[in-house]
Amino acid sequence: MSNNPPKMTASHVDVSYGTNHAIRDVSIDVYREDVTAFIGPSGCGKSTFLRSLNRMNDTIPTARVSGDIRLDGEDIYAREMDVVQLRARVGMVFQKPNPFPKSIYENVAYGPKIHGLAQSKGELDRIVERSLTRAGLWNEVKDRLSDPGTALSGGQQQRLCIARAIAVDPEVILMDEPCSALDPVATARIEELIHDLRGRYAIVIVTHNMQQAARVSQRTAFFHLGQLIEYGDTSDIFTNPRQERTKDYITGRYG
Amino acid sequence: MTETLVPQAPVSTAEIAPHRPTDWRSHAMERRIRRRYTAERRFRLLGLGAVVVSAACLAFLLIVMIAQGYQGFVETRLTLPLDLRDLRLERSPERLKGPGADLALAGAGLERAVDAAANRAYEAEGGAALLSDGAWLRVRDAIKHDPRLLTHPFTLALPVASAIDVAAKGNGTPAAERSVAKLGAHLSCGAAWDFFTGADSTDAARAGIWGALKGSLLTMVVTLALAFPVGVLSAIYLEEYAPRNRATDFIEVSINNLAAVPSIVFGLLGLAVFLGTLHLPRSAPLVGGLTLALMTMPVIVIASRNAIRAVPPSIRDAALAVGASPIQVVSHHVLPLAAPGILTGTIIGMARALGETAPLLMIGMRAFIAAPPAGFTDSATALPVQIFLWSDQVSRGFVEKTSAAILVLLVFLVAMNGVAIFLRNRFETRW
Repeated sequence: MSNNPPKMTASHVDVSYGTNHAIRDVSIDVYREDVTAFIGPSGCGKSTFLRSLNRMNDTIPTARVSGDIRLDGEDIYAREMDVVQLRARVGMVFQKPNPFPKSIYENVAYGPKIHGLAQSKGELDRIVERSLTRAGLWNEVKDRLSDPGTALSGGQQQRLCIARAIAVDPEVILMDEPCSALDPVATARIEELIHDLRGRYAIVIVTHNMQQAARVSQRTAFFHLGQLIEYGDTSDIFTNPRQERTKDYITGRYG
Repeated sequence: MTETLVPQAPVSTAEIAPHRPTDWRSHAMERRIRRRYTAERRFRLLGLGAVVVSAACLAFLLIVMIAQGYQGFVETRLTLPLDLRDLRLERSPERLKGPGADLALAGAGLERAVDAAANRAYEAEGGAALLSDGAWLRVRDAIKHDPRLLTHPFTLALPVASAIDVAAKGNGTPAAERSVAKLGAHLSCGAAWDFFTGADSTDAARAGIWGALKGSLLTMVVTLALAFPVGVLSAIYLEEYAPRNRATDFIEVSINNLAAVPSIVFGLLGLAVFLGTLHLPRSAPLVGGLTLALMTMPVIVIASRNAIRAVPPSIRDAALAVGASPIQVVSHHVLPLAAPGILTGTIIGMARALGETAPLLMIGMRAFIAAPPAGFTDSATALPVQIFLWSDQVSRGFVEKTSAAILVLLVFLVAMNGVAIFLRNRFETRW
């Protein structure tokens, strides 16, 4: 736990899709220097909640979000908040690697290009190299930046997506089960990468894999049936859960 | 709680009957396998048969068309000795170069001279009536090309009249057949270049396709310029921006219905709106294009919507998540990925529009137009309408012209499809 103010705060957030009330009264603080993991059984609403942190739920016409979500104290659902800029500040990595069907270079350069982050080709090249380096992919792809991003392996594609997200220099990175489509070796690479990125960006990761949550995160939130059951330091959650349901879940009794 | 309240598990027969291992080699099993293989084979043969039948139909159509149509590209010529030395014409070559040459030669009685020469040389066979009405124009062009022809006798192969032409190709009246037999070696064959440069004519030997082809081209330009942007933009709006509610559902149903409306109805609409209310020029490619655009638009909208819908949502998410605005998502990611499908739909719509006759009849593009249109508002006709008009002609010479015009239409279509395939492949590799 740190004494710094939280990067993002969510208080009393409710999300519903039409008549389906997916998230009820969730309050969570996300800190810049921590990796926060959301765990819970399938359909418990953790991905839904994650998507409300960068307003990706806006793309679903029936989705309705209420409550208060703030980024550095700014209400992200406020009228004056520009959702395009918000999504640049709060990046996202998805469950299935989804590189653009463009070259590796174009994939990473796209964000900086549309936001005008580079004044020259040289600067753009540097951003691409830095992002790919941080994503641990530079050495593997530096000689074939013009190859299609879709031709990479699954794990490489996911790291490319992470490089794409960090190329626009976000403050928060949301990861929605980033390893669920990857083999154990690729998963280990991503976990290593999350470890390296920690501190530079506030990271929120949704995962089904409790060992992964224990390995990569400092704080863990356990969701069940749309409710936040328990939220605290990862070590406490896994060794000394306060709630019976949390204990049952992490010991594998259900979920 | 008593024991009777506990529901008894139903006793299944499977538990009672002793379990026999499946005999994979039993007679029944082998028969089933045989039957499966037969079904498989039958299905494959059926599919192959369907392909063979459709290929045969296509081949038959093409062969018949080409066999009949190629004669339209060939003309019969009669070798005529000419001596134009007594033509009253100042022979200064500069008078025979500029725009005054046509008038000078016509004024000097060239047509009469040619007729006279034909009467002299082939009096018994029919004289000047053997030649096409436009034959003297060939002489005129030859003289313009080489004015020295006026100074000495020469011979020139000139196009024959339609009746002789048909007879020479083996399909004429008995009288014409006799003339052909008598002329014998004086007749020759050549490429009918006039067919590609001329417009409609009452004389089959002079009728050309260029007028209709140009009319079709101009019409297609108008159709494409209107239907493509409007269709694609509507599709983008409906797919990416429009809320899902009753109004958009209604629009969707209406567009689907519009695509199924018989084309003649669009013709009536064009007649009422473009000609009746807006008073646009009758028979013009502009009006034809507008009418066909109305017909083509729904096809493009439907195809484009399907292509846009087929773009994986993960790509949209990816672009949104790096902070692309909705318009950037569409223009940078969705459209390039949907482009092949959009182009395919457009070309299908355009091909249909190109072959459409009925709506053009309604707006007056069936008139007899003897000169190629110079612009979008000139009177014109279109290829399919020209084919329809020629097929209706009594004169036998138009039979082969009709087939030839069909070939031209087919080549036009193939060329359009070729362009579409080229563009599609370009977009597909250039992600």
